[in-house]
Amino acid sequence: MEQILEVKDVKKTFHLSRKQRKIEKTDQKKKVAVNALSFTAYPGEIYGLLGPNGAGKTTTLRMIATLIKPDEGDIFVGGTSVLKTPIEVRKNIGFLTSELKLEDHFTPNYLFDYFSRLHGVDEKDIPIRKENLFNQFGITDFQEVKVADLSTGMKQKASLAISLVHDPDFIIFDEPTNGLDVLTAKSVTDYLIQLRDEGKTVIISTHILSVVEKICDRVGIIIDGKMKVSDSYDALVDKGYEDLETLFFELLEEGDDHE
Amino acid sequence: MNSWMIVFKKEFYRVISDRRLIFTAIILPGLAIYVMYSIMGSAITGEVDDITSHEIVVYHENMPSDYQDYLTASERDFEFHDGSELSSDTIDDMLGNTEMDIYIAFPDDFSQQLTNYDDPSYTIPQVEIVYNSGEKYSSNSYSVISGALNTYTNSILYDRFGDGIVAFQSSITDTVDESRATGQVFASILPMIIVMFLFSGAMSIGPDSIAGEKERGTVATLLVTPIKRSQIAIGKVISLTVISLFSAMSSFVGILLSLPKLMNMDDLGGNVNIYGLSDYAMILIVLLMTVFFIVGIVSLVSTYAKTIKEAGMLILPFYFISIIVGVSSMFNGEAATELWAYMIPIYNTINLLIAILTFDVSMIHLVVMIIANSIYVTALIYFMTQMFQSEKIMFQK
Repeated sequence: MEQILEVKDVKKTFHLSRKQRKIEKTDQKKKVAVNALSFTAYPGEIYGLLGPNGAGKTTTLRMIATLIKPDEGDIFVGGTSVLKTPIEVRKNIGFLTSELKLEDHFTPNYLFDYFSRLHGVDEKDIPIRKENLFNQFGITDFQEVKVADLSTGMKQKASLAISLVHDPDFIIFDEPTNGLDVLTAKSVTDYLIQLRDEGKTVIISTHILSVVEKICDRVGIIIDGKMKVSDSYDALVDKGYEDLETLFFELLEEGDDHE
Repeated sequence: MNSWMIVFKKEFYRVISDRRLIFTAIILPGLAIYVMYSIMGSAITGEVDDITSHEIVVYHENMPSDYQDYLTASERDFEFHDGSELSSDTIDDMLGNTEMDIYIAFPDDFSQQLTNYDDPSYTIPQVEIVYNSGEKYSSNSYSVISGALNTYTNSILYDRFGDGIVAFQSSITDTVDESRATGQVFASILPMIIVMFLFSGAMSIGPDSIAGEKERGTVATLLVTPIKRSQIAIGKVISLTVISLFSAMSSFVGILLSLPKLMNMDDLGGNVNIYGLSDYAMILIVLLMTVFFIVGIVSLVSTYAKTIKEAGMLILPFYFISIIVGVSSMFNGEAATELWAYMIPIYNTINLLIAILTFDVSMIHLVVMIIANSIYVTALIYFMTQMFQSEKIMFQK
């Protein structure tokens, strides 16, 4: 089965609590976070979801990761439905988002073993996989330090490694370079490129245009929960857009005009 | 390895690898009970010793020598002073500032009045006693002095009327079963305390294990792994149960070691051994089933709560209900005989513990309790699993 990730006409609506309505300064009791959103990501490519804060990027990725369910539509990860067989989907995805935290009391070493077992990784493969990933992200030096005592960058590196314990075919990273120093951010983007070259399907969300331009093969721009554009960077340039930034701000202005 | 076992091992390791948690969740409950009850016991014993070893300071007027003989023949020490010159104000002052424990005044012709009881003009002699009931030595002195006065009165009446004064004699036989009597002492105190400590043990770690994971954002990391939500729920419940059970055992040992000191029962230390292996096994089963239920409640509430603080607040009503059930049962002294009583969680624990401790346990009641609690725990884990699957409960800020 081809390792394609298909998002088909998904819609997600959230109920807003009184507190949330107050924060968002709205009387609406519901908020449509994602509406009729579709896109496809293929093996051997990095697909970038670009959009401003609150556009629906994280909601989309959370639906792919089976943390939340779409109200309408469906998502197929390697042909497997997130609605019908979420456990099968989870076996095949590596998901990383800022909302996924590691427990302070444990060391990266312990947590790597723990999540490897939960993902059903063979006991004999765990040390090999751990050595590879820890070397890749430079975790070896602090693998026995409790998460509580790690810096933000170290925690992010550990989270990255732990999200990949099971060598998944689909890698879904939400703002993977957020809060990282330049060196760590580069090691992350380099690794994503390596994963793409290995034939994995990589989807990232970001609001940093330069990251998209640098590593993404195709880009989808989400504004107000809707997919405005989904194409390769080169194709967008061929269509006459000066650069991604110009396109992005044009689409943002369009969104504002419609409101 | 089963998924729930992986979760269980990690949750268990979380506690046993943290010295502070081991101390606060497991060692402290037993230690606190032992120290608290031992101090209380020592204080009570010390107070009693202090009073009984105190030399009673008696100021008197015209005290007959034969009555004084009754006093001095008792186990208490006395210091006698002539109080004939004291005014009532002075007596009050001396009782107030503990210079005097008791004042007793006999009529100056007391002995002669006693012998003239046949005289038509005879009036019953008045013996005046003044003491201060708000002062411990004085209050105790009154008991000693009045007790001796009763004995003295009886001896005078016996001299006057001989055997005729004795209306009847009574023969009293106490057929007490020492083990059962001791068991009833335990049964009046232990069940409520055990339930309280089982709850507080589960409350000390449960909210952090589940609501804490939600609050810190670590539960989402767990939820993207390919294991069933029910396996997560079972793993957490079992690990919390084992740790809570350790906490309960610690409390139990603390109580057993400190009760003899608290109750000033010199030979109770030996009497703790009145229970056999089967009794302890039944207690352990009851504790285990109760811990399962309590952990189920704590886990369910913790899964629902957004924060540790909210979980703590939501669990409190259940805690108070369990204490009320415990208190209401502790004065009864006997276990319920109705079968339905063993279907109600916590109430069944209290009744079964009373039954076991008083050697009155029924196997049917034990089996009913095990079945009932198993059903409740299964239902609680089911609801907990449903909550783990609810986006609203798991991710709403």
